Amino acid sequence: MTDSPARIPGERAAMIWGVLATILVVAATIGVFLVAPEDADQGVIQRIFYFHVAIAITSLVAFAVSCVAGILYLRTRNDRWDDVGEASIRIGLLMSVLVVITGSIWAKASWGTWWVWSDPRLVTYLIVVLIYAAYFVLRSSAEDDRKMRYSAIYAIAGFASVPLSFYSVRVAESFVHPVVFTGSGANMPDSMLIWFVVSQAAMLALFIALLELDLVGRRSERALRRLALRLENA
Amino acid sequence: MSGGAQYVVAAYAVIWFLLLAYVVVLGARSARVGRQVEAISRMLDRREQKDAEPDPAEDRT
Repeated sequence: MTDSPARIPGERAAMIWGVLATILVVAATIGVFLVAPEDADQGVIQRIFYFHVAIAITSLVAFAVSCVAGILYLRTRNDRWDDVGEASIRIGLLMSVLVVITGSIWAKASWGTWWVWSDPRLVTYLIVVLIYAAYFVLRSSAEDDRKMRYSAIYAIAGFASVPLSFYSVRVAESFVHPVVFTGSGANMPDSMLIWFVVSQAAMLALFIALLELDLVGRRSERALRRLALRLENA
Repeated sequence: MSGGAQYVVAAYAVIWFLLLAYVVVLGARSARVGRQVEAISRMLDRREQKDAEPDPAEDRT
């Protein structure tokens, strides 16, 4: 009988979140396209909303996670938090790109133009995307401890741009970009809101699954590097 | 397609394509780790084989 290989920490969590994300994404897709009622004003185009907004909120959550990971790295100097921060920003940036692309498609269908430079939500969100894209430029310009320290500080400072984007549409004069969620609740019927909640849960589960998968990959690579080094020196 | 359905299809196609591409990238990394494990395993096998072979100098004595 042979010993079963030891699990990498987080492997089981990645699998559970992956399965949960898959189930929720399938449920959300079915709900959005087959169950949710058609919007009386925008028609079928409004169906972009469910994943577009869910991905946008998840991207901001990912940046918040990177900010917390940055603080924890500076306090503990544990490499693990650097991994969490970088992986969160990578996934957050991927989701931000998706938000910009799907937003542009929605804008073209709804407003007849791909981009409106006078809209504060669009412009501030683009600024957030560019700030987090610059994170990887910074990371590639330093080595080892300095890279991790600079990255943590940048992730914390960069997060200041997130509330700016979130509240811009609420304080600005422009109302081109609709505000669905206000202090008094959601501006949509419950039959639509339920599928938005499912879509949001799906995207959050997907974020956690991708994060866990990324971290498992990093741990495996690190363990392999250590093993290779030990073998070379033996 | 009418009523802007093509825009909805385009938006969801972009979402699925990019998310799938990201999962493929993660999968490629996992495959690379697998290949490295394989290489280290072969290296260990060779080393064990070498250690098991009798030393010719010892045979002469």
